[in-house]
Amino acid sequence: MKRVLVIDDATTVRMYYRQVLEAQGFAVEEAGNGYEGLEKALASPFDLYIVDVNMPKMDGYTLLRTVRQEPSISATPAIMISTEGQNQDAVAAYVAGANLYFQKPVRPETLVLHVRLLTGENPP
Amino acid sequence: MALIRKTHTPSDGDSRRLLRDREGLLRQLDDESAEARRWAALDLAVFPEAAEALCAHLQREIQPAVRQAMLTALIEIGSDAVVEGLLPLLRSEDAAVRNPVVEAFQHLPDAVSPHIETMLQDSDPDYRIFTVNVLNNLRHPQTPGWLQTVIESDADINVCAAAVEVLAEVGALAAIPALTALPGRFADDPFMQFCVQAAIRRIQGK
Repeated sequence: MKRVLVIDDATTVRMYYRQVLEAQGFAVEEAGNGYEGLEKALASPFDLYIVDVNMPKMDGYTLLRTVRQEPSISATPAIMISTEGQNQDAVAAYVAGANLYFQKPVRPETLVLHVRLLTGENPP
Repeated sequence: MALIRKTHTPSDGDSRRLLRDREGLLRQLDDESAEARRWAALDLAVFPEAAEALCAHLQREIQPAVRQAMLTALIEIGSDAVVEGLLPLLRSEDAAVRNPVVEAFQHLPDAVSPHIETMLQDSDPDYRIFTVNVLNNLRHPQTPGWLQTVIESDADINVCAAAVEVLAEVGALAAIPALTALPGRFADDPFMQFCVQAAIRRIQGK
């Protein structure tokens, strides 16, 4: 079972991604800010990170830059999802190390499709 | 005997032994030593008139510890000038500048509250989301009312979702009718339906 780490300060958003992904057979863990996300990412392997941009303590850009410099987790793909929809926001996400960038809200079928693509998980 | 003022550039070892008057401290906000800048910021907390300079330096300061010291001093000053000086930083593209401002505002409910309605009507939805984030820990009696106005009138789904999240956090029972009506404004979006259902369950303690 592929493991996904959802890092977002909004409890409801984390619950939403969890419900959508667990219904499709993914194992989901949650973190409420960048520091907590980094700790969990370093503690055990994940197949994908879903990362919010604006979070307290450590924002998503800083988290992804840190992940990409940490050899043990640097190859893990990441989807960055933000409320910000300008082209410059997507560019900033890719520069920080995101593999994909979406503006919130992401439709469930879109999220599942791209999580499958990035984790190599086939549909059931 | 006349006092001789020290004017040399400080090192980390003597970063708090220089001039501690307001003008000296303001000059040290530009010192090349981060430790000197940090101590200068902290010591400026007793000079309310330093608010504008602290806000200006906060915008360009790159050391997190110095930024934190500047925010600590600004919260200590806590004046209208502090809020006026910090408001533009909420538009910063740099989350490292913007996020501490959100946290600082949460400590200044009396000074921030007169600005909330204007902030919630800003044309930039991200700015409105940051304002909703300020409300998350503002501890102001009007917070549930402001949030309810957002979910009743804001056209942006992400601003409304942020407000729903905070309403769930503050446990506003009176907002449940407005929450119940909200998915109807974004009828085709499953995320909003999920947010509202989850928020109502959290408010009702289920």
